[in-house]
Amino acid sequence: MATRTETLPYGVGRFTAGWWLLLAVLAVLVGWGLYAYSRQLAEGLVVTGLRDIGSMAGAAWGLYIAFDIYFVGVSFAGITMAALIRLLRLEELRPVSRMAELLTIVALILAAFSVLPDLGQPVRGIVNLLRYARPQSPFFGTFTLVISGYLFASLVYFYLDGRRDAALLARIPSPLQGFYRLWAAGYRDTPAERERHHRTAFWLAIAIVPLLVTAHSTLGFVFGIQSGRPGWFSTLQAPAFVVMAGVSGIGLLLVIAAVFRHVLGERERLHEGIFRWLGGLLALLVLVYLYFTVAELLTTTYTGHEVEVRLTLALLNGPYAWLFWVSMGALVLALASLVLPYVPSLVPVRVPSFQPAFARAAGLAAAGAGLVLMIYRHSPRLVPVAGAGGPEPEWVGWVLAGLAVVFVLSWFPLFARSVVAAGVAGGLLVNVAAVGKRLLIVVPSQTHGTLLPYGPGSYTPTWVEYSVVAGLFALGTLLYTLFVKVFPIMEVAEER
Amino acid sequence: MPKYAMVIDLDRCMGCRACMEACKVENNTPTAHFWMYVFRFEEGHYPNTHVWFLPRPCMHCDNAPCVKVCPVGARYKREDGLVATDWDRCIGCRYCEVACPYGVNFFNWKDPRKNAYLDWDDADLRPRTDGNSPPYRNPDLDRRYGKEGRRTAGGGRLRGVIEKCTFCVHRVERGLKPACVANCPAFALLFGDLEDPASEVSQVLKRKPSFRLLEELGTEPRVYYVGGHPPHPESKPVEEIVARV
Ligand code: SF4
Ligand code: SF4
Repeated sequence: MATRTETLPYGVGRFTAGWWLLLAVLAVLVGWGLYAYSRQLAEGLVVTGLRDIGSMAGAAWGLYIAFDIYFVGVSFAGITMAALIRLLRLEELRPVSRMAELLTIVALILAAFSVLPDLGQPVRGIVNLLRYARPQSPFFGTFTLVISGYLFASLVYFYLDGRRDAALLARIPSPLQGFYRLWAAGYRDTPAERERHHRTAFWLAIAIVPLLVTAHSTLGFVFGIQSGRPGWFSTLQAPAFVVMAGVSGIGLLLVIAAVFRHVLGERERLHEGIFRWLGGLLALLVLVYLYFTVAELLTTTYTGHEVEVRLTLALLNGPYAWLFWVSMGALVLALASLVLPYVPSLVPVRVPSFQPAFARAAGLAAAGAGLVLMIYRHSPRLVPVAGAGGPEPEWVGWVLAGLAVVFVLSWFPLFARSVVAAGVAGGLLVNVAAVGKRLLIVVPSQTHGTLLPYGPGSYTPTWVEYSVVAGLFALGTLLYTLFVKVFPIMEVAEER
Repeated sequence: MPKYAMVIDLDRCMGCRACMEACKVENNTPTAHFWMYVFRFEEGHYPNTHVWFLPRPCMHCDNAPCVKVCPVGARYKREDGLVATDWDRCIGCRYCEVACPYGVNFFNWKDPRKNAYLDWDDADLRPRTDGNSPPYRNPDLDRRYGKEGRRTAGGGRLRGVIEKCTFCVHRVERGLKPACVANCPAFALLFGDLEDPASEVSQVLKRKPSFRLLEELGTEPRVYYVGGHPPHPESKPVEEIVARV
């Protein structure tokens, strides 16, 4: 039975200087995103890089939609993990359960927020979707199942799961006592209550799993059932969405768990077993996704329709090759990182190592050059020119990618020693790949997938789109940061 | 109920693009929006080449992908077959645009008044423009049409909504032909009622073999082409098509 501890656990209610600093940085970023969005509200979507498909040679959907599906994808991890932990009784994974649930909720909020800037008439969007919603539109599923149903289920689950801790915390005198009492709502953590609680949560978890597959599939159907867009029209679209959702979500969960392990100094509770388990699952999902990709590529290139072939060539060896190979490379590197911790025990090889200093320099150079390039290309003063691609030659991108690969490779000795580091690297890499793949699903089918002979188009996001997306990320982190100070991010440990 | 359709005779089209112009004047479309667009193709190898033209309005599909995906029913099919856009309801999600295989949808990226060919408030033009309604506020296009009384003509002189060819619903309801049809100097464009066996379109379709664009997708377009062939990989567009706002 839990006993009274005098301070709140896991840093709740203790505000450090570092925390305030983080909060300030995030607030500035959110403010910047809002400013960018205000430009868009004032001028219209002309401030984005989006343009009409066809005679305007552009893409009507871009970064906003790509990040919308990315965020919905990330939301997969939380509630799935929570449900799996309960259904399969994975007791040792309990500590990440709440982190995962919170990730789901935050990601779904971000997903809802990233649809809004994409709408030409955001206010109408909210009103008319309620007034005139048509279930026949694949968007209907996205809004109802994903954003509302899924979010609602997650919130309920989150609430139920937190009641025990709330009851425990309500016994400790603190300014938040009233809030905990409210959350606990009479729950006392007696054995009978606990039993009933377990049962409710169990059935809820069972109900959530099919909802989850359906929700992520509907998102795939937004693209998969459009026969007019080569590259989208594919049966694999829905399953691939589900798998990629798992990949990005679990990847992010690994990163978050590692951050809390470090910040809270909870090496005992967030033990290596958790990272091993999550890393293994992630590696498996990455493998499935790679398999899907190969199957898809074979189908489109082997017998594909002329337009399919043109589109695939644009991906493999055309204007999108850079993004495509970076994403695929990130997936493969992630897979390698995730299995590395097992290598030393399996085969007695020495993983070759670079000088870490050299690696750090390479990484810094790549990041710095990338940043400069991006600022140069998307500076608000540069007016996007009709149909023009990037001004920099193509090899610059390849050199940057090469540097990044060297950077990752140089850390391999560390990954071989530490499953946590490997998990973090894998988690970050798959998320790079996830963003890349989301963009590759959304954009090329519009610019290079026209069935009438319009000729190839192009799409380059502008600073407004990047800023709004950065603001969304900051908002999500902000929500997370605030939450950990009012409620324990891990289930309060049972007293032994 | 009439069943409206358009027939385009590719043998007669001479690529003058008068239809594109007529559409712009009639519907006051903003810059870079081409509800009607005429492709120009070249086929064969020098010196044996052949140039031909393909006008492309909205196909007003019977099984329209754009209607199916619209989350709020702003894009809908009228009883007479016209595919209409209710710009009072459109939320600007552009799903119809990405779902349409023909690339005929145009979004109002800018305020249309900042995207017109003519600056209506230009001081030099004051004597002529003062007191007249500007092109982006053409009262004829602001009106409600059809039994359902929705604002579907003109596609929406409003920032952030979608627009496309309406088959000139405001003219058709008055018994006139769409502007492109009425202005084609070669009579390459025909418009009429397929239910009526005596109509020009029914007659031509009975006499000549016809095809529709991307028929294999099952969109069931209401625009028929006679006297030519669909574009194929050998049909090279003679110009780059990039009209940006
Ligand atoms: S051509 Fe495109 S916009 Fe017109 S009805 Fe067909 S799908 Fe809809
Ligand atoms: S842009 Fe407007 S008409 Fe098109 S699908 Fe969205 S709401 Fe419907």
